[in-house]
Amino acid sequence: MGAKEMVERIREEAREEGQQITADAKQQADAKLEAARKELEQQNQQFLAAEERKGVEEKERIVRAARQNARKLKWRAEEAMIERTLESALTRIPGVKSSGFKDASYAEILSGLITESVLSIATGSSSAGIDLDVLLSEEDAAAAHITQAQLTELGKALSREHGRDLKLTMAAEQIKSVGGVIVRQTDGKIEVNNTFEQRMARFSTSLREEIVKALFERTSS
Amino acid sequence: MAVEALKIIREGEEEGRKVVEEAKTSVSTILQNADEEIKQLKERTREEEKRLAAEIAARHIEEGKQEEAKIMQAAAVEAEQLKAAAESNLDHAIAVVLERILGQR
Repeated sequence: MGAKEMVERIREEAREEGQQITADAKQQADAKLEAARKELEQQNQQFLAAEERKGVEEKERIVRAARQNARKLKWRAEEAMIERTLESALTRIPGVKSSGFKDASYAEILSGLITESVLSIATGSSSAGIDLDVLLSEEDAAAAHITQAQLTELGKALSREHGRDLKLTMAAEQIKSVGGVIVRQTDGKIEVNNTFEQRMARFSTSLREEIVKALFERTSS
Repeated sequence: MAVEALKIIREGEEEGRKVVEEAKTSVSTILQNADEEIKQLKERTREEEKRLAAEIAARHIEEGKQEEAKIMQAAAVEAEQLKAAAESNLDHAIAVVLERILGQR
């Protein structure tokens, strides 16, 4: 082999070695790229799945809040009607005073409330005789829906019925109320407030339930 | 003559070394280029993820808002129906209240 052939062979070998080195490097680079693409693809899928879950949660949160607001809207409508009923009931009291309620006159209604109050005080007292003051509103006292004579008769009737000496006296003191009565033991120890406002407040919880039934569960006619 | 031949062979060997050295140098460039490409690929992927995340969130929010509107519309109708029913039963309800506060029950 001559020198020229040797040189050519050396060159050829070097070129092949260089090409091999370059090819290996390219293969390595391609492998790295491919691995990175696969990893990114996997990460991307996980990321999108997580974002979908977050999105669904956000949508559910919006829907939950809307359902809550819808309940509030209906609740407010109910509350408004309940309040309107209670207010309207008080505005009808003057009509009750002039025309009575159902078959009862206002005097009979007052008499019933006085009886209820007296019996309540009598139940809590062991005395054989009880002196009681009956307090009316300024308006009711002026209208004389019930008189001292009627109170005296009512006291006697209750005494006979319950075997106690119950004396009822119309108090000079008058109360600020739309109507109803306060009955107080003369010594001031026990008092039963049966004014309409107080009864409304006292029966508030059960009254509201009854109003809801009457307003919303009754078939309108 | 032999000296001349040796010189030519040495030059050939030197030339061959250079070719191999150049190839070795290009390895680092090839790998660096691959790293750079991976870096850019990651950046593009992150950007795409951001865009898709915003798109997904917007889609679900929109669906939620649409459902919200339906729920509130139905609730408004129901509230009006409640009011109407209550309105027609108002006198009865007032009578129930009066019965109780007047002590007629």
